[in-house]
This record gives sequence, structure tokens and C-alpha cells, in this order.
Amino acid sequence: MTFETECHTVGVLIASRENVPPQTRVNRVAENFFGSTSLDAVAIVEGNEPVGLVTRQKLLFTLFRRFGFELYGRKPVITVADTEPLTIHKNERLDVAIDMALQRPVEDIYDEIIVVNDSSCFMGLLSVKQMIIQQSNALANSMVQKEIAKARIKELENIEKIKSQFIANVTHELRSPVNAIIGLAELMKISCEKGYMDQLNDRLSLLMSSASNLRAIITNILDLSKIEAGKMEVIYEGFDMAALLRESAETTRVLLGNKPVEVDVITPISPLHIVSDPLKVRQILTNLLSNAAKFTEKGKISLLLNEEEGRIKIIVCDTGLGIKDEDISRLFTAFTQLEDVTTKRHEGTGLGLTITKNLIRMLGGSISVSSTYGKGTAFEIVLPKMSSE
Amino acid sequence: MRKRILIIDDDVRHLITAKEILEEEGYEVITHHYAFGATNTVRVQQPDLVLLDVNMPGLSGDRLSKVMLSNEKSKDIPIVFYSSNDEDSLRKAVSEYGVKGYICKGSIFDLRKGVAYYLGQSQ
Ligand SMILES: Nc1ncnc2c1ncn2[C@@H]1O[C@H](COP(=O)(O)OP(=O)(O)OP(=O)(O)O)[C@@H](O)[C@H]1O
Ligand SMILES: [Mg+2]
Repeated sequence: MTFETECHTVGVLIASRENVPPQTRVNRVAENFFGSTSLDAVAIVEGNEPVGLVTRQKLLFTLFRRFGFELYGRKPVITVADTEPLTIHKNERLDVAIDMALQRPVEDIYDEIIVVNDSSCFMGLLSVKQMIIQQSNALANSMVQKEIAKARIKELENIEKIKSQFIANVTHELRSPVNAIIGLAELMKISCEKGYMDQLNDRLSLLMSSASNLRAIITNILDLSKIEAGKMEVIYEGFDMAALLRESAETTRVLLGNKPVEVDVITPISPLHIVSDPLKVRQILTNLLSNAAKFTEKGKISLLLNEEEGRIKIIVCDTGLGIKDEDISRLFTAFTQLEDVTTKRHEGTGLGLTITKNLIRMLGGSISVSSTYGKGTAFEIVLPKMSSE
Repeated sequence: MRKRILIIDDDVRHLITAKEILEEEGYEVITHHYAFGATNTVRVQQPDLVLLDVNMPGLSGDRLSKVMLSNEKSKDIPIVFYSSNDEDSLRKAVSEYGVKGYICKGSIFDLRKGVAYYLGQSQ
């Protein structure tokens, strides 16, 4: 793509080829102007060569003056014409032509320009107004294109940044539990060899939780790869949404451990039967609720279910950390975590919300978020009640 | 005299495993959980080597190393990054922050060998 303003030559912009011989009577030319309101000027051509120009404005002005018709009507048009009109070659550049036109006296500025070919033969007339419009369109276009290109470059830079941040993130998030597992296993081996059994149980629990942490991360990475490869399938089934919500709430309470956070479920309609993919809906809820549990230290996590016009609406809201306005747009970008990798307090790969958004899209729904930093966050999901298939 | 090693990490699993493995080797090992207050522990304990995790909440290991290296009482204590991060990024961090080197988490062999190497170097 080039950022240059496109520079046309004037030849392609010829607006009209209207011309008359020099001896044509002024009245006849005037009739032409009366007959066609779009006719702005007529060239006067002798043989093939242009010898003058009459514009609608100037001709009519001459005729409508007192005794104008009587004085000039029957005279040859050449007597009232501009006999030195601006004449340029067909290969002249548009911007140069405009410059030349604008350098004329004010009353002539908008007069048409005559275009000739290599052998000075008349080719046509240029409308200055049209050329200026053309020129400013080209300029506007090139500016728009420049903006688009700039935005694209920025986007690519961002993607690059996100990619390398992903690598850093995933490297750490994958290796950390693997390394812990290896270390713990080695310790247990040493203990066994020496017959120290007392700490074995604690070590085993730690090892198992590291392993399931690792499994969760791997599952997320594989899920996202599956989505991106277009291999994720939706299997529709009827199920009770209210029950699924209560079940997810139960899991959230376990996740919260002994943090002072209540989990509320508000389901006015129960049971609420819907047709969708229950596994995917569960995964969506799990992702949103695990975030809520992760980023809420005290207060409440609420789950609200509603039905409206063939759709269901689920709101997951918390009284946690909240999200800054400027960060909202980055939330659903793969591998984006709002905390800095090296100092973050919370585990995760930044894939949860990206997967969630994709799953919701696959189910024909939508997700939106509103949040107040320091106060809490609310995610709202809308899903069709019945599958569209 | 037994060499004293201080391990700073936010992940208890790594503190436990590294401590025991190095104690097996006959070192005296102290651990400090999280980055906060670590500079004080370093000044008080005057270890022969600090194994410093990089990814820690609040204050990352690389920035912590900067603090320690700029303090009179801790600037001569050798620091080695001990991390699960990508090796290239660790190498970069080592030259950027001017610490002695790095040891990758995940291999007991590397840990033993690395610690022996950096302790030998500081003599
Ligand atoms: N309920 C919430 N309150 C505050 N911040 C949130 C909330 N949900 C998400 N975030 C922010 O959005 C980021 C991205 O969330 P996402 O679920 O995609 O990733 P993650 O939870 O960090 O990792 P993963 O879900 O892959 O384990 C989080 O790191 C966090 O900074
Ligand atoms: Mg998450």
C-alpha cells in the first residue's frame, strides 16, 4: 500500500467536449445553455484548435445586461468569448492544473480549462470545481488509508507483544507445576529410601494438587487450540439451567475455601429447561465463577438467572477487585492478564475469558461486562433458550 | 564452616523441595516466603548464596535483586535466579540486573551442580 496522494493526469478527468465554431451566433450558444442546465461552458474550436471559451455565467451575464440581446445576440460568439483561456496538455498533473487555475484572477478562477493533445488539438473541457472535489477526495482517501495502515501496524505490534507475553506466561505456568511435581517426587523417593514416612502424606497431597493445577492449564491450552482450529463441536441437549447454576455455585463455594465470600443463586424460574450444550455452558460458568472466586477477597458472588423472549440471561457478579475502564477492552484477548506476569498474585494463563467468549459465540449467545475498579465486576451472558438448529 | 543458602520464593512447594535437597548436600538452608521482608532477612542472615525466584507477587525477583545489590549490607552477597521461566529470558535478566547467574527449576542435578558452582565461585 502506498501513502502517496494519487496523482491523476487531467486527461482522464475531461468533463465535457462541447464546442462550437467561432462564427456561431451568440444567440445559438445561449440557446444551448438554456437547453441544458448541466452545460457550464463551451469551447470555441476552429478546425481542431481551440481559440476561445464561453462560460454560462459570463455569457448570460453579458446578454441579460440592458440591451444585451440586441447588442450581442446576432454577433459571432468569438466576439464575446475569452480568447486566451487557460489551456493545458492532457498529461498535465491534476495538482499542477489546479494550481494554474487558482492563480487566475478571482473572476476567472472557476472557468473551465481547455485540454489539448500533443498536436494542440482540442480534447475537451475540465471543470475546476470537479477537479477540486476529485483532489480533496483523493486526499481524504489517502488519509483514511494511512490511518487504516497505521492502526493495522499497531494491531500487529500488539499481537506480537501478546504472543511473546503468552510464551513467557505459559512457560512459567506450565513449568512451575511440572517442576514442583518432579521436586516433590524426588523428595519422596529420598524419604522412602531412608525410611522416613512421616511427611509422605503431606507431600503426596501437594503433588496431587500440583498435578491437577497442571491438568487445568493444559486443558485450557488444548481447548483454545481446538477452538482456533475450528474443531470444537457443539452437542445440543435439553437440561435444567437452574440446576446447573446451583451446582456451579456449589463448586464455587469449594473454590473459595475459607475466604469470607458468600455465594448467592437467584433463579426465579426453576426448573428452567433449555436446549444447548450443557458441557459448554458448565465450562462457561466455571470460568466466570473461578475468576470471581479468584479476584474476590470478601463479600458476595451472585448468580442471577432470567428468561426473556426466547433467551436466557445469566449474570455473574462479584464484590471483588474490579477492573479498570482502560483494561476492559483487553479482557477477552487470548493470554491477556491484567496483572504483570512477574508480580501477579493470582494463578492463571489468561485463557479463561477468551475460551468463554468463544464458547458463548458457538452457542449463539453473547457476553458483556461492567465493572467498577475496587468495587466489583458483573459479567452478563445471553444465550438462546432453544438451539437454532 | 557450613555454607548458608537463603531461598526466596512465593511457592511453598519450591521452598520445601529445594531446602531439603540442599540440606541433603550438607548446606545450611534458610527459606523466606514471598519477596516482602526478604531484604531484611538477607541483611540479618548474611547467607553465602541467595537463590531468588523471579515471578513473585508484589515485588518480582529481578527488581528485588536490584534492591539488594544497591544496599551496602547485601551488595556483596551473590544472587542467583532460581526460576521456572524461559531460559532465554533468565539469561537476559541476569545480564540486565547484574546477578551472578541462574539455575532452572526442575532438575535436582542442576540445582546441586549450580549451587556448588556458584558457592565455589564466590570463595
Ligand atoms: N471477576 C473478575 N474480577 C477482576 N478481574 C477479573 C475478573 N475476571 C477476570 N479478570 C481479569 O481478567 C484477566 C483475564 O481473565 P481470564 O479468566 O481470561 O484469565 P485468568 O483467570 O488470569 O487465567 P485462566 O482463566 O486462564 O486460568 C484476569 O487475569 C484478571 O486480571
Ligand atoms: Mg480465569
